[in-house]
Amino acid sequence: MDKNFKEEFTQIIKFKPPLYKQRHQFVKDLVEKYKPKKVADLGCADCSLLRMLKFCSCIEVLAGLDICANVMKEKMHTLSPLPLDYLQPSERSLTVTLHHGSVAHKDPCMLGFDLVTCIELIEHLQEPELKKFPEVVFGFMAPSIVVISTPNSEFNPLLPGVMLYRHPDHKFEWNQAQFQSWALETARCYDYSVEFTGVGHPPPGMEKAGFCTQIGVFIRKHPQTGESVQSEKPTEAVYKTVFKAVYPSLKDEKYLQNAVISEVIFTAQIIKHRLMSKHEEYGDDPERKSKLQPSMDCFSDYLGKLVVEKNMEPFVNGNEFYIPLATIFSFPKVNRLCGSFEKLCKLIAGKVRLSSDGSAVMLSIEHEDE
Amino acid sequence: TIGLQVSSGLQDLSLRDRGGRRRDFHDLGVNTRQAMVHVQESKTGFSGRMIKLTTNHFRLTSRPQWALYQYHVGYSPEMEARRLRSALLFQHEEHIGKTHAFDGSILFLPKKLENKVTELFSRTRNGEDVKITVTLTNELPPTSPTCLQFYNIIFRRLLKMLNLQQIGRNYYNPSDPVSIPNHRLMVWLGFTSSILQYEENIMLCADVSHKVLRGETVLDTMHSLHSQVGEERFRDTCAKELIGLIVLTKYNNRTYRIDDIDWDNNPKGTFRKSDGSEMSFVEYYRKQYNIEITDWMQPVLISQMKRKRGNIQGPVALIPELCSLTGLTDKMRNDFSMMKDLAIHTRLPPEQRQREIGRLLNYIQKDDNVQKELRNWGLSFDYKSVSFTGRVVQGEKIFQSGNMFDYNPQFADWTKETRGVPLIRAVPMDSWLLIYTRRNYDVANTLLQSLFKVTPSMGIRMNKPNMIEVDDRTEAYLRVLQQRVTPDTNIVVCILSSSRKDKYDAIKKYLCTDCPIPSQCVLARTLSKPQTIMTVATKIALQMNCKMGGELWSVEIPLKQVMIVGIDCYHDTVSGKQSIAGFVSSLNQTLTRWFSRCIVQSRGQELVDGIKACLQTALRNWSKWNKCLPSRIFVYRDGVGDGQLNTLVNYEVPQFLDCLKSIGTDYCPRLTVIVVKKRVGARFFAEVGAGLKNPPPGTVVDTVVTRPEWYDFFIVSQTVKNGCVAPTHYNVIYDTSQLKPDHVQRLTYKLCHMYYNWSGIIRVPAPCQYAHKLAFLVGQSIHREPNLMLSDRLFYL
Repeated sequence: MDKNFKEEFTQIIKFKPPLYKQRHQFVKDLVEKYKPKKVADLGCADCSLLRMLKFCSCIEVLAGLDICANVMKEKMHTLSPLPLDYLQPSERSLTVTLHHGSVAHKDPCMLGFDLVTCIELIEHLQEPELKKFPEVVFGFMAPSIVVISTPNSEFNPLLPGVMLYRHPDHKFEWNQAQFQSWALETARCYDYSVEFTGVGHPPPGMEKAGFCTQIGVFIRKHPQTGESVQSEKPTEAVYKTVFKAVYPSLKDEKYLQNAVISEVIFTAQIIKHRLMSKHEEYGDDPERKSKLQPSMDCFSDYLGKLVVEKNMEPFVNGNEFYIPLATIFSFPKVNRLCGSFEKLCKLIAGKVRLSSDGSAVMLSIEHEDE
Repeated sequence: TIGLQVSSGLQDLSLRDRGGRRRDFHDLGVNTRQAMVHVQESKTGFSGRMIKLTTNHFRLTSRPQWALYQYHVGYSPEMEARRLRSALLFQHEEHIGKTHAFDGSILFLPKKLENKVTELFSRTRNGEDVKITVTLTNELPPTSPTCLQFYNIIFRRLLKMLNLQQIGRNYYNPSDPVSIPNHRLMVWLGFTSSILQYEENIMLCADVSHKVLRGETVLDTMHSLHSQVGEERFRDTCAKELIGLIVLTKYNNRTYRIDDIDWDNNPKGTFRKSDGSEMSFVEYYRKQYNIEITDWMQPVLISQMKRKRGNIQGPVALIPELCSLTGLTDKMRNDFSMMKDLAIHTRLPPEQRQREIGRLLNYIQKDDNVQKELRNWGLSFDYKSVSFTGRVVQGEKIFQSGNMFDYNPQFADWTKETRGVPLIRAVPMDSWLLIYTRRNYDVANTLLQSLFKVTPSMGIRMNKPNMIEVDDRTEAYLRVLQQRVTPDTNIVVCILSSSRKDKYDAIKKYLCTDCPIPSQCVLARTLSKPQTIMTVATKIALQMNCKMGGELWSVEIPLKQVMIVGIDCYHDTVSGKQSIAGFVSSLNQTLTRWFSRCIVQSRGQELVDGIKACLQTALRNWSKWNKCLPSRIFVYRDGVGDGQLNTLVNYEVPQFLDCLKSIGTDYCPRLTVIVVKKRVGARFFAEVGAGLKNPPPGTVVDTVVTRPEWYDFFIVSQTVKNGCVAPTHYNVIYDTSQLKPDHVQRLTYKLCHMYYNWSGIIRVPAPCQYAHKLAFLVGQSIHREPNLMLSDRLFYL
């Protein structure tokens, strides 16, 4: 169901930014605050929250669950890595998975999460599902933080045109007292603390109605008691995976190696060009100083300093240009990628042309035709 | 104010989706054959020997009596938002079924609903009742244009399901890229696909496509440009290098064309969001994507959106740091070593290419979801590519001053055979200038000595030139030209020490417009290798001879009183303002002399008026040379983009006819207009034994993979050393010649032998290549029409 959209459609006049955006922003702020690594969105629908969360750099595992596979499938490809994610792999690793299943069922793939969000989910649950929901989320998944949002029925009279519920698929809509007593009971039962807040402020003078969307933030009181608890849990998978995307990351040796090789050769070539053009008749004008470009200037100054050290000086032998690996390693970008000189040597072994003793990168001097 | 697109991700699949833009890329529905009575029965030729060919086409099969049902979907009260319309409609999936394609108003279904008009009732969440009326508007047979468009959309859906990444119009496999660290490039393997109605079947044409991506951001590129050219030329260079390029962004999967660079703006600048509020770029990217822009001084890139995307209209601002370049720049194309490194990965020989295409089909066949989707629509593919017979027409003999040459048709080249043979018409070099810098004095002498060695056997009489030494500055060259060129000067030869374009441009501009004298620029470097100097000198001698109005060789042309016209266009991507059309027409029976004109037009201007004037002068010149008007005219029109065929048929051809009418009431020559297309998806492979090879030059294909509504054919005329040969597509859109298709094909192939800058067969008819050369020279260097004094010579070679 396209719940986010519908709400926006009528309330765009009332709430700015639209209420669904405010809910998403709320989750995002929470992520910024607690920096969870693994986040699951239950009832992820068209994945719009996940799409937003994938840009949060602390998150390494992102999962979505919905009872309707079609609504997830419609936009799931927007969760795939972008071409640029492949071209410039990021430091962090990120895996996004979508599961088809019900929040009334336990599946081991939902274990070990730091944050579980249930945004406008519970009001879509039938009575029996709602009964099982706390045990699955709080008892089984048992993340550090759970966020639950749901409509506040006390606000409905303020919304134009709402007869019974805000959405035809809603099975119920709770007032503040109903939601809070359910939440407090659940928290007590599973040893969580809960705080209430919301988004969508009531108009002045109507403060008693409360937020349009009421939110409960549940925090587990005690840290996970360790592996023993989890091993007792059922391990049978009942969800169906409908989508999985593993983002390219420098943590993956394959991408790291590519990035290092590319950076090493590029750096070597810059050094070669710089030194060669100094010798050329129509070479660089030394007076030419760039204003826009601190980075490139630093680069040449940097190179100047380096070359003073004897063993790091690039040299020419026959038709080959030799750039010591030590020189290349001293460039910040290479340095940051590899961490250690040994790692650099290991990563480029056999992939970059090196001098016989393996201490320098070789580039052929032949004039590149323009 | 600048609108900025906000949301990330792929667009919804729809009939207006990228691939299926309403612009008709495949020129569907332009039926030109029906007006040509003589090809109603058959448009196939007959000459030559048969050859077994395989192609990259695959038959699409559907169940019998298959049809696509098109419905109009109306809402009462009217619903604006497309997403809401979809959501309301799909509440009734039990009625309309799970398989559907809907763009907000048109619904396609694989099955017919019970009633012609179905009324459905939905309720929005605020309790508003909406009546949805689904009305059958069309029952589409598999061959209807809408249906074909629909197949293409479905196919794109499948590629998406296979997790291929869309870049531009094609889909690429990101998981296995080839990186070329030497040049900081990455190559993705992907596929181009189109589904069309061909001669007898609807087929999928699938080809391998390579996307070159760059590992650096646009800001990185700007930095390195800055360090190369310095502050002064920085902005100009950036504009030259970057404008017109396509970029990808860090945060969404869209491609943008860089149309301008706003140097007065930077990431701290603000833009107006769709809700009316102002926000800085820095803040926007931080809030929306958690991206920190590090360089706050960089300029902002501007992309003009050609059409409305979502709710965004007008120019889009992009931050260089967040963009990455795709594709190759002209500069990169000229980088020999880069192209060599790239070719290893992109030039796939026939068998490998066919294997890669087979892989795509294999993915499709193996993927359950894809198969399910196909089944739901009642479609499937024949996973074996189509085979058929083509013809290899007889090789052409080359005539040169009473000599006739046979050459190995496999190589399509007669350089060796014609070496040292007198030219048809050798123009003497009695008075000529040789200009060089001090540094190149030796090189100039080497060239001169070599020319003296090679010209006698060609029959070129050559005097000693005026040797002039100049400073290596543009003004110095120009001053010498102004002082030393006389009306008697046959040609000016300049030796340049670098390929710096400004010097070349200035020389060409002066000698093509103000002082119309043929000129030859030679890079000193090309003369520096002793082992190749004689070959180079021979080439230069031939080229100079052509520029002065000489003739090299000919082939047999059986048609009499015929004028051949070639047209090609050059679009200035840098300034984006000019387009140049080169117009070339034959002057004599042997098609060895060519008249040329050029149309320089600003953006948005139609080509047609200029072409009319060109054709008029061409006819005047032809009649001057032949003492009569041509009785047959063939126009080879190159430079026609996808989807422009309709314009050509409806506007350009009538202009040709108009022009002919204006010559005289009793003048009624036979006219043939042929659209020449080099960039086509079709590939042909010759079945040799168990393997696949490139088909030999002269291979003609006019069945199976041609289009029923056109009088069209393919010719493979050239050979390639690496990779797959690309056939050229010829589409005869107007023809009153009464010639048999076989003769039109043969004439076309003959013309591919007549390009004097290459002693071999080329990809397109010579007049197209001449027109291309002319348009390129004018577009790149001269920027206005060359002096008409030069118009009877190949000065632009």
